Formats: sequence, C-alpha cells, structure tokens
Amino acid sequence: MSEQPRITLGGSAVVFEPGETLLDVARRNGVEIPTLCHDPRLKPAGACRTCLVEIEGWQRLAPACATRAQAGMVVASENERIDRHRKSLLALYMTDHPQTDERAETGTPNQLLAMAEAFAAPSDWGRLPQKRAGRPEDRNPYIHYEAETCILCARCTRYCDEIESVSAITLAGRGSETTISTADELSLLDTTCEMCGGCIDVCPTGAMSEKMPLALEARPDRALGKVRTTCNYCGVGCQLDLNVDRAGEGGRGRIVKVTSPEPGTTSNDGNLCVKGRFAYEFVHHGDRLTKPLVRGKDGELRETSWEDALQVAAEGLMGVRERHGADGLGFVSSSRCTVEENYLVQKLARVVFGTNNVHQCAAT
Amino acid sequence: MTNSIPEIRDVDFLFVIGSNTSEAHPIIAMEMKLAVARGATLVVADPRAIWMTEIAEKHLQLKPGTDVWLLNAMAHVIVEEDLTDQAFVEAHTEGFGDVRRTVAKYTPEEAERVTGVSAEEIRWAARRYATTDKAGIYYTLGITEHSHGTDNVYALANLVLMTGHLGRRSTGLNPLRGQNNVQGANDAGATPVFYPGYQRVDDPEVQAKYEESWGVELRPEPGLNLNEMMKAVGKEIFGLFVMGEDVLLSEPNVLRLEKALNANEFLVMQDVFINETARFADVIFPATVFAEKDGVFVNSERRVQRVRKAVDPPGKARADWKILIDLAKACGTTWSFDGPGEIYAEMVRDAPKFAGISYERLENEVNHGYTGLQWPCATPEDPGSEYLHKGGVLRGKGLFTSVDYRPSMELPDEEYGLLLSTGRTLYHYNSATQTRREPGLIAKQPEAFVEIHPSDARKRGIEDGDRVEIRTRRGAVQAQAILSRQVRPRCIWTPLHFSEARANVLTNDAGDTVTGTAEYKVCAAEVSRVEGGAEGEHFPGSFYRESGPPR
Amino acid sequence: MSDEHDAKHALPDALQQAGGLRKGVPRQVAEEIGVPEAHAHGVGTFFHLLARPDAKLRVCTGLSCRMAGADGVLKAAREAGMPVEGVSCLAGCDVAPAVLRERRVLPEVRVEDVQAAKGDWKALVSRGGLSEQSWHGHVWPEKPDSEGLALDLHGEIDRSAAALRRAEELGPEAVIGAIEASGLQGRGGAGFPAHIKWKSVRAQAEERRYIVLNADEGEPGTFKDREVLMRRPDRVVEGLAIAARVVGAQEVWLYLRGEFEVPWRVVEETVAEFRKAGLLDGLEFHLHAGQGAYICGEETALLEALEGKRGMPRHKPPFPTEVGLWGKPTLIHNVETIACVPGIVMRGGAWFRGLGRAEPGSKLYCVSGHVKRPGTYELPLGVTLDELVEAAGGYVGELFAFSPGGASSGFLPASERGLPLDFKSLSEAGSMLGSAGVVVLNDSYSLREAVLDQLRFFEAESCGQCAPCRIGTHYLRDAFERRMGTDTDETDALRNVSEAAWQMNEGSICGLGQAAPLPLTSSLKHFPEAFGGKETVS
Repeated sequence: MSEQPRITLGGSAVVFEPGETLLDVARRNGVEIPTLCHDPRLKPAGACRTCLVEIEGWQRLAPACATRAQAGMVVASENERIDRHRKSLLALYMTDHPQTDERAETGTPNQLLAMAEAFAAPSDWGRLPQKRAGRPEDRNPYIHYEAETCILCARCTRYCDEIESVSAITLAGRGSETTISTADELSLLDTTCEMCGGCIDVCPTGAMSEKMPLALEARPDRALGKVRTTCNYCGVGCQLDLNVDRAGEGGRGRIVKVTSPEPGTTSNDGNLCVKGRFAYEFVHHGDRLTKPLVRGKDGELRETSWEDALQVAAEGLMGVRERHGADGLGFVSSSRCTVEENYLVQKLARVVFGTNNVHQCAAT
Repeated sequence: MTNSIPEIRDVDFLFVIGSNTSEAHPIIAMEMKLAVARGATLVVADPRAIWMTEIAEKHLQLKPGTDVWLLNAMAHVIVEEDLTDQAFVEAHTEGFGDVRRTVAKYTPEEAERVTGVSAEEIRWAARRYATTDKAGIYYTLGITEHSHGTDNVYALANLVLMTGHLGRRSTGLNPLRGQNNVQGANDAGATPVFYPGYQRVDDPEVQAKYEESWGVELRPEPGLNLNEMMKAVGKEIFGLFVMGEDVLLSEPNVLRLEKALNANEFLVMQDVFINETARFADVIFPATVFAEKDGVFVNSERRVQRVRKAVDPPGKARADWKILIDLAKACGTTWSFDGPGEIYAEMVRDAPKFAGISYERLENEVNHGYTGLQWPCATPEDPGSEYLHKGGVLRGKGLFTSVDYRPSMELPDEEYGLLLSTGRTLYHYNSATQTRREPGLIAKQPEAFVEIHPSDARKRGIEDGDRVEIRTRRGAVQAQAILSRQVRPRCIWTPLHFSEARANVLTNDAGDTVTGTAEYKVCAAEVSRVEGGAEGEHFPGSFYRESGPPR
Repeated sequence: MSDEHDAKHALPDALQQAGGLRKGVPRQVAEEIGVPEAHAHGVGTFFHLLARPDAKLRVCTGLSCRMAGADGVLKAAREAGMPVEGVSCLAGCDVAPAVLRERRVLPEVRVEDVQAAKGDWKALVSRGGLSEQSWHGHVWPEKPDSEGLALDLHGEIDRSAAALRRAEELGPEAVIGAIEASGLQGRGGAGFPAHIKWKSVRAQAEERRYIVLNADEGEPGTFKDREVLMRRPDRVVEGLAIAARVVGAQEVWLYLRGEFEVPWRVVEETVAEFRKAGLLDGLEFHLHAGQGAYICGEETALLEALEGKRGMPRHKPPFPTEVGLWGKPTLIHNVETIACVPGIVMRGGAWFRGLGRAEPGSKLYCVSGHVKRPGTYELPLGVTLDELVEAAGGYVGELFAFSPGGASSGFLPASERGLPLDFKSLSEAGSMLGSAGVVVLNDSYSLREAVLDQLRFFEAESCGQCAPCRIGTHYLRDAFERRMGTDTDETDALRNVSEAAWQMNEGSICGLGQAAPLPLTSSLKHFPEAFGGKETVS
C-alpha cells in the first residue's frame, strides 16, 4: 500500500484526499485562507482572487479554491507577496464599493468590509463611479439587489444554476458594467425564479438581501436574535434561523427574516425554499386568533375567557360521550403540530375519553 | 424514508413516481438535481410533465391510476430477464413466488396499452433500476392518494425486495412526507391503531404496559381512521375535537361532510386562524404557530429535530400543548407537565424506537455529520439510523405482497369527459391559511387555477386565462383556466390550496381499502367556460403555462 | 455532453439571427435552443455586436484609427444622425480609419464619405482606393517567394493539398517531429512551442478531440490574420486538416471575428473546395462567428464562447490540450501558426528554422501609425523596428515611441529601435512581441492620449469576471484621465496606480488583466518627462 499523498502547507506536511482542493486541505487543517466567491456547494469560480496562494515552482499565484492538491506541492498561504496581494486587491475592491457599514450593509454583515479591515487594506485609493445597473423596478416583494454593493463573485448566479437549477439570474454586461440581471431585466416574479432566496443566502456582501427587513426598517442584522428551529411546511424538516427583533410587535418579538444554517451542518445543507425562507408573515398576521371563542345560544361566536372556554369544551365533549359512548367522539390531531402535542391528543382521546378514534392527515 | 436526504446526491438511478418533487419537496429536489448534475440517471413516472422531467433521462407519462400496471410490468421484466437479486431474495424475503406468478401476466406490451407508456421504456426503466447498485425510489401522494394506494406501495416494495435495493446507503424506498410532522404525529401515536412508536393497541402486552404507565384501562379495539371518522360524522360520531386541520377544506367530498356536520352535536376546534371548519365549531381555542412554542418535529427521514420558541403568541393565544393539558385538567385529570420536555420524556420512556433520543442530545450532538437524531435509536449511545434495514430487513423477513390492478373508482365517461387530479404547488401549502397571507406567494399564484391540455380547451371553447367551472358528480368550483404544457390530453389538474375553489368539493371520498386515504388523484370531471370574460395574466413566470418562460 | 454540444453553442448565432438583444428575444431564443432565458440574456449582453443591435455603424476608436482621424468620422456620423458608436479595434489599422457597417468592415472611411451618405447609414461606403469587397491591405514582399517565406501571402493559392498528402505519408510522429525541429512558436501572442501542444493532445486517453482555430483577431495594431485568411486560406485549411489527422481529432471549429464577413466567405469556399476534392473526408468543419469581444482571443474564453457561453476565461491548469472544448482535449492555434504548418511539412523543420534570426521562422509583422506604407510584412523573426519600417517605406516624421506587439505590449522609446522584435528580446525589455502588431508614433500624437486610448480599450474589453481586471482597468483609466487634467498630489495617485497595476498583473486570471497596466507602466517608466514627473513605478 502506498502512503497517503501529502503537500507542504505553511511549512508542515499534511495529507490530502485525491480530488481535494488546496482550500479544502487548508480548512481541514485549520489554516485560514480568505474567500469571498467560495461556497462548498458550488463549483469553484476562482473569481474573487482573495484565496490566491503561492506554489513553489509556479510563476503565478494560484486560487486555493480551484487548484487541486498534487503530491509534493509546496504551498504558502502567508508571505510578503501574498500579503501585498491581499492588501492591494482589497484596496481595489474598496474603490468600487460603499465604504461604511451603514451604506454597505443592506443585508447581512458585509464580509468584504470585514476582510478589508482584517487585512488592513488601504482605504485611500479613492472612489470610482458605480457603473452596475440594478433593477430598482423589480416588483417582487422578497429579493432586493443592491448593485452598488455587488462584487460579481457570481455565487448567486452559480447557486441559481447549480443548486436551484432554475437559472433565473445571470451575469450580464461586461467589464466594469457587469451586473446581475434577469432575462430582459424582468422582475424576478416574471422569470423562472422560484424565490428560494438562495441568492441572498450565498451573497457575501449583502448585495442580495431580503426586502422585508428593508421595508420594516428593521434593526441591522447584528442586532437581531437568531433562533434555530425546524421549518413548519413540508416533511423535509429544514433547519432555519428565525431572525427576531426582540422589541418588535410591542415586545412580543418580530420575525424580520429567515436565514439558513451553514452548509454541511444540517440535512438541508444550507438550502431553503420560498416558503421556508419567506413565508412567515402569517405569524404576525392580524387575522390570528387571539382569544378563545364560544358559540352562544344565538349561534354567534363570541370572545370569552380561557376558563369559560375550557369548561364549555370539557362539558360538551363529556356530554357527547354520555349520550353516544366514547366512540361517539373523534379526535383529529395534526401533523402540523409538535410530537408532544400529538402525544397529548392521543393520550387525551385514550385516557380521558376512552376511545381510539384518533388520527390526523396521514396520507404519506 | 428508508434512507436519508443527504444520501440522495449519491444515488445513481432515481426513480421518482407520484412525486412533484420540485414543488412539494423543493429541498429534496435540490438533492436530486445535484445527483443528476453528477451524472445520475433520473426517471420520472408521472401523468404530468412536471419540472423534474426537464432533467430526467426519461419521463414515463402514465395515465393516472395505472401505477400498478406500470410497476408490475417492470417487475415482469426483472423476473423475465433474470435481473433479481437472488441472494437477497433468499436470505431476507418471503412470498416471492406469489409475486412472480402474478407479474407473469403483466407484460410490457399489455402495460403499454393500459398505461400509455411504451413497452420499450418500461423495459429500459426496469433494467436500469434492477442493474444499478445505488438505485432509489421516491414517491409521494401520487402513489398513496388512490383507492388502491396501498397496492401501489406494495408494488413498489416488491421491486425493492426483488432487486435487493435495501439496507444500504443511497438506495431504498422513500416516501416523501408531505407535512412537517406527519412522521412525528404517527410516531407519537396519533393513529387509531398504534400507541407511540408503532406499538399496536390490540397487542395485549402493549396494552398492559400502557395501562400500567397511564394508570387507566385501555381499549384493545383499533379506532376509526380519519376518512372513516369523517364518513361516520352524524351517524356514529357526534362530537369532534379538531386540532390544526381544516377538515372542511382538506377532506374529500366536503359537501357531504358539510351536511353531516349539521347532525354533529359538538365540535371543539384549536387553531391559529378562523377557517371553514369554524362555521361548525362550538368552541375555538386560539393556538400557536411553530415559532411560538417548543417541541420536536420528525421529518421524512425519521430525523427528530427541535422546534424552538422565537416570539410570544399574540393576545391570549396559548401553546397547543398547554391548551391540551388545560383541557385534560378541565375534564378532571391531574396532568402536570412543566413543558414539552417532560411530555417528550414521558413518550420515549414507553417507546423503544426513540428511547435513545433526548432533548439534551438534540441540543448538543452532531451524528453522521448533521444535527438531529434519526430513529430507530434505542440507547443514549446509539448514533441513530441513517438508513433502515442495515444487514437485513427490520421485521425479520421482507414480505412480498402480490397485487393486481384495480381501476380507479371513478373514471371519465360521456357526461364527465376529463380525468381530474389534485395536488400541491410550490407557492402554497395545504389549505393556504399561512401562504395566502404572504404577498410574494400571492403575487406568484393569486387564485385557483386548473391546468388543461390545449386540445381539450379548444374543444370546449376555452382560452388561456378564461374563468371556468370544474364540475364533478359531487360539486362544482370556479377557477382560472391555464392552457398547460404539463398535463396529458383528457386530464386536468387543480391545486388543493384555494378555499374559494375547494378542490375537495370535487374529489371522490372513496378510500383506500387499508389506510382509508381518499382518492384525491383520480375522479371524472368536466370543465366549461364561465361567461364574464378573461382573467388576464395572473400567474407571472408560471411554468405551467404554455406561454410562460421556457424552463 | 452531446446535448450541450448540439444545443447551447448555437445560442450566439440564434441571437444574431433574431436581430440581436431586443425585448423578448431572450425568451424566444431560449425556447428555440432549449437554454434558460437568463443565459440568453447573459450571453447577449456580453458581446457588443449582439448587445446593441441598434448601432448600425461602429467607428474604430483604436490607437491607429484615432491617429488617422477616426474621431472626426465618428463625430460626422453622429452629426448626420446615423446610428453610430465607437468600437474597439476592427483589425483594420493599416486601412485606418476603419468603420463597421453591420458586419462589414469599410476601410479608409473619410469624413467626406460620411457626408456623402447624407445621414443614411446604409449608404455609407468607402470611396478610397480600397474595395470593401476584398478588404486587402498592403502586403510585403510583393513577389511570391515560397522558398524564403513561410506564409508567402502573395503566393498562388495551392489547391494540390500536397502537404496534407505528405503529412499522411510521413505519419503523425514524423509530422510532430518536423514541427519540433522547426521551432514553431505560437503566433497568437504567447510564443508557446507548438509541438508540445500537439504531443499533449495526441497523448490524451480521451479519444474525442478537437482542433480549434483562433481567428478572433482583435489586438489593437494587429490585422495579419485577416490577410492570411483572405490571401492564403489554403494554408489555413490545409494546416488544420494536417493537425486534425496528426492529433486524431474528428472536428475542426473555426472561431472567426463576426466582423470578418469577407474572410469568412473566403474560408468557407476553401473548405468547400477541399471537401469536394475529397481531402477532408471524416473531418467536420464548423465556422463560428464571434459576436464582438476582444477577450475571446484568449484561448479559454474562446472555448467558452464556442460553447455558447459568456466568453470568460477559464483557470489554467488544466490546459485546453487536456480539458478543452466541451471538456475534451483540444489543439487550439492562431491563424498564422496553423498556416505555417503546410510549409514545415513540405520543406522540413530545418528550413523553417532557417527563415528566422535568433528565433525560428519568418513572421508576419503588422505595422501601422506613422509609417509611409502601413501593412503586413513577412520578415525573418527578429528584425528590428528600423528594418521593418524601412520595408514599410520609412517613418513619417520623427520616431518618438512604438508599441511592438499590440496594446498589451505597452510603449517603448525610440532608443529601443534596434531591439530584435522577437519573443525573448522584447520579453526581457519588459514588453512583448505578442501578435506583432507594431504601432509607430511620432511626436505629433500625444503619448498621454495614446496611453489613454489603450487604457480605454482594456476597460471596454475586460470580461468582468475577476476583480483585479474588472476594477483595475476601470481604476487605471479613471485615475489617469482625471490626473491628466490636474496637477494635484500626483505622487500619491501614482503610488496607488502603481500598486493597482502590480495587483492587476499578480491577481488577474488571464493575460488581459495581467497586461492591461503595461501601456501606462511602460510609459511612466520610459517617458517620465511626458508625465511631468520622474519615474515612480517599479
């Protein structure tokens, strides 16, 4: 058996699996290499250039995300040349990008700003006029594209092509006018877009962001509470983070957006669909039932206290049992409710009322 | 699902039948898309040219309700061409002889006549399925919502058993659960036949265990399933407790149920919005949504995952679990649970399948690379089960069940010339009480529609966007006609989500002989134009529509 | 993969046939071809011939054409209300100013020509001595000499296919041996030894292989491929056929500039003739029209564009010889390189090698700007500027600066006039031979203006994929343009510009971004006085 192949990374020999990129090997070994256009779910693009490393014997720096490890490679991810590269690259980025958090953070925290700060990139190279066209007229209510903040890493278009496979958005134009667009600059509503919001999730600068928090003038992302929970729609059980403005809705808390977990940590791999990511307005909807209701003798439903409602319900159900026997009752539980609640309904039916007439919508 | 969601991307042959995966289970569809991009072969068997057919190697566009013919013919080919996994059949199954005899008469040529799928394609699909090591079957309500839904499932299981596609990664038989906690509700014993953890109510040992545990005498006879209960309303059943379901929207042939409810004596409803059922409710408890409470859901792949409270309920609304305890107390019990954690702990105490899964482990552990734990999971050390039947079949021997084709209960005739199926769309969910309160979803799909083949539309003088009436023997609703590139000729399709056009006014409540699940997928219907002009372009970017953007 | 091959590559053509990118076209074309409509939009907006279908006239704004008065022509056309815009180099620097009317290049268009059209763009014709039908420029030597010239542009078209037959007699190994012995270097710009590519493709395990011809000539100052295609299509087609036989390819894909309407026809006819003579049996030839993007001259961008995508360069490695067109091994050569092959096969590697000086072969030099007879000159590889210009009838005015190999080579001072114009010498001088598009400047044209022309060119032609190039080309042009008008704080500005230039060279994916700062940095280095300061760029 031959020995597992190795590369030298930052002076130490490390093993790698065939097919792994230099970035894979580095991350597995805790060696930090900055990236903006990388997403483990996508084919490497090597477009943002932040991950360039030096390989002995190679004239040019190479993108760690797109370069496969080969036995014997001697790789440096930190040295004077790489540092100069990162600083000058980030300085260039900043000439074409809003400079302050307030301007640059329309959505999630801006990784470019954070990176420019971390690498102490010069910020005095001046500002270029912005030449990327946005689509401000897009009437879709969910996804906002802020062209000024876009760095054309193409994570969004690649996600749309490679993961969601609806190819609703594209890189459009050329050179410094390159932007993200749709066919004929249509509203996303009029395209093949299925509003999964993956473009928002993968965007490193927040150029793709949720419209809802903007409309709600919600507090910035970093001031929101995040609660990991399970989606309440289909049976896939996607994990998601409810982003809550605790002070919202008169102190009840307001969900202002939903974000997905890191890829590779939950079985939905960081993906969500339109319902999981956007359909949470019902939580705060004015039509919600907020008080118990009991039907009066006149046939009208009217509000009442919990004590009264519980009493009427208990007596009503007991009454049916007295008149028709335990199997004169039927309990319809809900596959929408929690396991614990379903457990209680069946226990209620069986223990309190003595019937096995308990079921829920269970076609699959 | 016998297998896990993350395994799908490594499957080499995906057989998707009766599942509009990209709309009903978009995240599972993403996994399938990854598999195809990697080079896997996808075969979609579906009466409609759903999105998934775009990336499929083949689309077997069978006539609705003819699944048994298709599947038995595939089995026929596998037997005829000696593609069975003899070693697996001998070691792990019983009853193959019956199936072998039954499928002998299901020749692909005859199947072509019945299903509309060519014999050649049936042979091809059977061969590819049988000879691909990592071959997985995925199905949803298109298989089960038939009067012969159980037969369909047996026919699929027969294919799995005869080819030994079980007990390994990235293969198996995978029903995709339609609702967030269908799996969990069944796991928790909200079924007429089982206590928690699939322990039968008519098993004396189990009964004794629960009598001891709960301190009461229990009934050994199974109760009525949902379909039976709804049919018994006003006859044997006079009192209903309904939590989180709008039976008047989701149950088939609802007009009959509506009449029956007039004879019902008492109805308690627990929900978050007023719905159709509320018209018959005597008491309504204001309940909570998932974001307002703690607990667990169990997903399609048997993964138990936490639900966590993020915001407070509005007004006086209470968490459902709390209401149920309060109701039990009002009925004279002394139930005392301090929260979902205690309720959960009581449930798993008596249910060995989940005994190893605790809130603490769900909070702190990552198993097989992901959060959550998959049952069976018997002990606190057990990492849970990514896939079932590892090294054999759970119940000892996998049982083949030979099934014969039975036609759907109601097929098109002279009076009702079209075959109606119902289903889900990406943009709405069930009765749409949540999704029709969403601006973006409404913008995509604002109202009820019916997909009709352009040739059938022309015969009836219907144009794209026209308002039409859909009629069956049970009732009629109105919707916008969409001249669709998805449906077969003489078939129509309408979503079940829209309360002003309740699809279940139309559907047949003929139930499956075993599960009672209703025949939502096949009934006879007719469509006619309603005077009053075209509705215009209401479905932007619609992918059903002939005139929509190319896929 | 076969589906992709059949479908998507037709996308640019379909967009062209639909009349370019207008509302509704992406959807219509997407339906026809079976690609996502957003991709149709993305591709359509990438190529300027597709993106702006309403521009019927395009006036070249390249350095040589501006020196010849392109600004006036553009202005006159605008004033006449014609649908006109400026465009990057049209490969007509020797017949400047060149104007593109739809897909037809009109040589030597004068303001009078524009005025004569009376506002009707369709009526615009060139009234100079050159015919728009032939679009031939001046070519030298004027007498055929197949013995002393590899390309021999004045030679008779040779329909005997003797070289192809000879190659078949010799067998693949011997042909590759001859090419190796000839020392043939890629004439598209990189100067990479040709035989290494041939060997590599031939050695691949994958049996589906492609030959690709790079005829997307667009480097400002360069127009030789145009002449080769029109005058010696026999050498090109025969060279391609030899290459296909030797490396075992079944298909030959020709990527011609969309503006090469005339050369296209000549090549098409030649392929048909060869086919009729039974010389191309078992070989498929496909002609693909470029839709207007300089970057597609970069070989991997060209492959993307051939596949019907946006022409954004790929990462190397892997090189096209391993993973090329549709992922298959691909031999890709520039027109001039492939046209050298028949001669090498017929006369042997040593013959070819002997045609050059320090480096092998004769070479086509394009010369334009301030010389008496701009044109295409076949000379030994390694002549000096003075020798070249002497052949071209001498300098106009006093030599001030020259650009030896297109915009990407930057500017050299008159003092370098004795430097051999070959790959190695120019590389050592911090420049490059590139495509040997030599532009000569006297002191009547401002060097600053010339630098700005080149910076504008790179900004317009950056594909936008990677940040150093996308932002850097914008930044350099912006900084330089603004600096030209002011005297404020030049040191700081220069320091940042210099660092940005370093970054572009270091960080860009492909040669465009890497070379784009050269016009500026080379000028700052060699002509500090022209920029009012001392040398600050390292």
